[in-house]
Amino acid sequence: MYSKLKLGIRSKITIGYIVIILCLLASVIILNNQITSLQKERNFIIKYDSQVQALTNSIEKYILDMESSQRGFIITGELSYLEPYENASKNWKVDFNELHQLLDNKPNQQEKLEEIKYTIEHWVATSGDPTIKLKKDNNTAELTEFFKVDIGRKDMETMRKQFASFRSAENALTQTKANQLDKKNSNLTSGLFGLLVLVSFIAIVIASGISRSIVKTITEVTEAIKEIAASKANHKGRIHVKTNDEINVLADATNELLDTLEEREWLQSNIAEMVTKYQGISAITQLAEIFLSEIAQMTKSSLGAFYVREMNNNDIYFVKKAAFADASDNIGVERFKIGQGLIGQSAREKRVYMCNDIPKDYKVIGTGLGEAPPKCILIIPIIFEDEVIAVVELATMNSYTELQQELVKQIIETFGLTVNSILGRMEIVRLLNESRAMTEELQVQSEELQTQSEELQMQTEELTMINEQLEERTKDAETKSRELEIAKRDLEESAEQLLLNSNYKSEFLANMSHELRTPLNSILILSEMLAENSNNSLTEEEAEFANVIHSSGEDLLALINDILDLSKVEAGKLDIIFGEVNVSEVPLLLEQIFSPVAHKKKLEFQITKAENVVDVFYTDEKRFQQILKNLLSNAFKFTEKGSVNLSIEQLKNEQLTNNMQEISAEWLEITVSDTGIGIPKDKHQLIFESFQQADGATVRKYGGTGLGLSICKEFAKLLGGWVSLKSEEGKGSSFTLTIPSLPNGINEERCSNLTFAEVVATTVVNDPIEVIEGPIEESHHDSQNEVDVFQNKNILIVDDDYRNIYALKTALEKRGMNILVAKDGLECLDVMQTNDKIDLILMDIMMPNMDGYETMSVIRTQMKLTDLPIIALTAKAMKNDRDKSLEAGASDYISKPLNLDQLISVLRVWLVSKRS
Amino acid sequence: MEKEFHNNLELNIENNKHTNMEIDLLLEAIYRLSGFDFREYNRSSISRRIYNRMRVSNIPTITRLLEKVIHEEVFLEQVLNDFSINVTEMFRNPSFFKAFRKDVIPYLRDFPEIRIWHAGCATGEEVYSMAILLQEEGLLEKSVIYATDMNEHVLEKARQGAFPIQKMQAYTKNYMLAGGVHAFSEYYNTDHQYAYFHPSLLKNIIFAQHNLVTDQSFNEFHVIMCRNVLIYFSPALQSQVHMLFYDSLSQNGFLGLGDKETLRCEGIISKYKEIVGNERIYQKLY
Repeated sequence: MYSKLKLGIRSKITIGYIVIILCLLASVIILNNQITSLQKERNFIIKYDSQVQALTNSIEKYILDMESSQRGFIITGELSYLEPYENASKNWKVDFNELHQLLDNKPNQQEKLEEIKYTIEHWVATSGDPTIKLKKDNNTAELTEFFKVDIGRKDMETMRKQFASFRSAENALTQTKANQLDKKNSNLTSGLFGLLVLVSFIAIVIASGISRSIVKTITEVTEAIKEIAASKANHKGRIHVKTNDEINVLADATNELLDTLEEREWLQSNIAEMVTKYQGISAITQLAEIFLSEIAQMTKSSLGAFYVREMNNNDIYFVKKAAFADASDNIGVERFKIGQGLIGQSAREKRVYMCNDIPKDYKVIGTGLGEAPPKCILIIPIIFEDEVIAVVELATMNSYTELQQELVKQIIETFGLTVNSILGRMEIVRLLNESRAMTEELQVQSEELQTQSEELQMQTEELTMINEQLEERTKDAETKSRELEIAKRDLEESAEQLLLNSNYKSEFLANMSHELRTPLNSILILSEMLAENSNNSLTEEEAEFANVIHSSGEDLLALINDILDLSKVEAGKLDIIFGEVNVSEVPLLLEQIFSPVAHKKKLEFQITKAENVVDVFYTDEKRFQQILKNLLSNAFKFTEKGSVNLSIEQLKNEQLTNNMQEISAEWLEITVSDTGIGIPKDKHQLIFESFQQADGATVRKYGGTGLGLSICKEFAKLLGGWVSLKSEEGKGSSFTLTIPSLPNGINEERCSNLTFAEVVATTVVNDPIEVIEGPIEESHHDSQNEVDVFQNKNILIVDDDYRNIYALKTALEKRGMNILVAKDGLECLDVMQTNDKIDLILMDIMMPNMDGYETMSVIRTQMKLTDLPIIALTAKAMKNDRDKSLEAGASDYISKPLNLDQLISVLRVWLVSKRS
Repeated sequence: MEKEFHNNLELNIENNKHTNMEIDLLLEAIYRLSGFDFREYNRSSISRRIYNRMRVSNIPTITRLLEKVIHEEVFLEQVLNDFSINVTEMFRNPSFFKAFRKDVIPYLRDFPEIRIWHAGCATGEEVYSMAILLQEEGLLEKSVIYATDMNEHVLEKARQGAFPIQKMQAYTKNYMLAGGVHAFSEYYNTDHQYAYFHPSLLKNIIFAQHNLVTDQSFNEFHVIMCRNVLIYFSPALQSQVHMLFYDSLSQNGFLGLGDKETLRCEGIISKYKEIVGNERIYQKLY
């Protein structure tokens, strides 16, 4: 991968250094050479120069030695002085040759040297040797002669001059050479500086080149990083480096890091986003849906299902709670067990499954346009506390990248907790609701119980009351049994007597009417005869009188007949003979009787008979007719204008009640209706009573005895039927006689039961009894029980005002209460110490020694009498007083000045035995 | 006999499906016969009432009871009476009335007229309590209290304003705890059986028969009191009645429920706020 890397920064720098070092090395070598040659030259110069000098000096010395030795000898003549000369003449040529050799490359100097040689040889030849010879020959004259000329001296001087010139020439040469060396030296110095500059320059160039190449890429990278940092959105930017160096590696690494970061950020943001989506969700289905849709979006899944673990009869099932992109509205199984299928296996092993090779016919992913099988399936168990609590299955048309898998894995890690908490929350909500429902249910039950207990209480009380009464009665019965027996005997006697009396009365009445009728008959007959006035012996007025007598007599007769009938009924002496009645004859008969009356009063009179009415009907004809006659005459009597109608109908089967059917299958209903004055509703019951009419005024206006209807009622009863009434005041009345056909006579008991029931059901429209009942009974009981509530109750009055005590005492004692008195709190407590049967305390507040509050506190807290009723007597409109007395433990309060009724009410409330 | 009966009873309870059907039939019959609809009532309560009636009248099965209900008018009345639970007391849960006095009355003062509906008032104890409270706050004159119940008998009792004297001690305590400012005895007279509340309290009370299950709203109210009534209803019916109350309440009107009740009905609860914690006094927001 990094094979392209050929010039790394390291190599660049290394190369740079090597170059510089090489340069330095080169320059050092060059310098060294120069310096060495210089040294050599210098050494050579020094050596050569000194050699030349030494040799020159040595030659000169030799010459001088020779001269001095010559002279010495000449002077002395001693041969010993000749020894140095001999040496010198031998040696100087050696030095000379040596010097000559040295001066090989200096021909000028050699020439000078040659000249010197010549001079020396000339001296030796001309002056040395001859003189020595002269001396040796002792030729002093010649010597002196010689020295008079002294050619040697001239040679010596020439030689000296020659040496001086040689030396100076040599010195000049040496100087030239030294100058040359100096020049070389300075050249070398400048060369050294030049080299330094050059090497420095090269070093700088290399350094700058390398550094530029490094910095450039670094800057590029920095710029790229800055750019990336600046672009906050998506870190899509990457670092591009053209060089093939470590920076490139760094850039690559950074890019890699960015990639990783980006992935991680993507993961994090998706996870974070996911987590925010969970918020506020309270139902697992909702959670599952949101989770699926989100995760499907993130993983680019096209299909998904969410299963949550549920317990069902100890079996663990995973039940589908949500599906994503449901193709056919029904993806996946609705539920599965642990281990069932791959998904079940995943739940069992708590591990993620991913399948890549999906058969073609696998479940299809549906879009609007078509369907396709998925390519990859991911099954993820969601684990909480090491238990799989849900399983998610996802399918995609592509494949899941590692990143997506990682995302799923990370999301799942915390998702278990969420699922669990939502399940927990749902459970809590369910339990909360349940507990609320249970609270309400409890309330219901408690109310029901209360109702039942109240009912029970009521029953118990009733029972207790009955029990008490029974006990009392038992006692009474025991003590009174004898009296009762006596009384019973008396009663029996008097009952017999009464019965006898009643019979006597009825018989008497019957006889009496009979006896009355006899004289009345004669009066009637005679008055009628008189009224006819057949002889015309009477004045018109007298005839009218006779008419009046007659009609009055008839009235009287009717009255007597009525009384007779009624008393017969009451005495049970009326004989009822059931027989055949031809119903079809009835209208004719009645018409004969009442048509004249109708005509006279100018009333319409109509008799109708329904078609279904049987011809033969079994009843007592006489009484039947009498009832009809009575009803009709009543109708005519109270009708001034309009009409009177009589209709005969037979009741249909469906109109008959069970009881009626038992008595007879055929029932007639004869209705007499009129358009008369009518009867007010509250009088409906009354008019059937003997001697009763609607009101007194009616009697005065219409006359009559008021017996007619009671006779009708009694007769109807005897015939097994009844009379009912419908009437409205001012609009008329209609009386209906309902009787059965009874071929075999009447069964008394059955009929009387029935009649009662039916009459109640039909005639008693507005039952007035109810209205009357309440108050009368109550007030009756009142006085009885009133005594019970107050009787023998011990009331303690605590008050410092004697007048108050007196007034209260009198009022309460009158009702049977026992009154105890205390003048202040202390006395009250004393009284209570000695008397533990106090039922109630009336407590004044403002008292000396110990006031009401304190007293009550003592009673409640120290004496622990928490249930004893204490009624505080407070001043009116003093709310503070009331609050304080309540705080002190008053059961109730009542304001002064006392209202006796109110006081009695309060006493009742607090003295009555509590039910519960 | 008794034991056999109990065995029967147990059998009945076990045989839940049939029992349910029987109860369905019975309630249907009662509805058709009387117009009183208990079909949506809390089943457990209704069935307890039925079993109670069966026990008292010694009837072995619900079907027998049904037969009697259909054929005996008196018995129908009896069963209807059984179903109507009329547990109530004056100033029941005194803290409720105290809270009402403290937190609701100030709102009501500004209204020119205050209409209050006591739904399911039973024998009227709470209606009188409310009247007393309003009287003491000086608001009775401009208030109209509509007290309704489906049971005409209990309404008749309520009209009389006579409550058993044995209960008056408890009521007195309640009255005082509820923050009463007078002597309770100023409001009633007694005889040995009953305490009769002063008719002046009745002046602005209208008693009328009204069935929460079948009848509609009949006015707009500033306060609706319906305490411990809805607990007898099924959740669905509760929602229905809550809608009725909601529709019948004026803006910022108050709804008072029983202390064990909650406004559970989903759609409605957000439209109220509970103005006194734990006293179940809700104010309609919008």
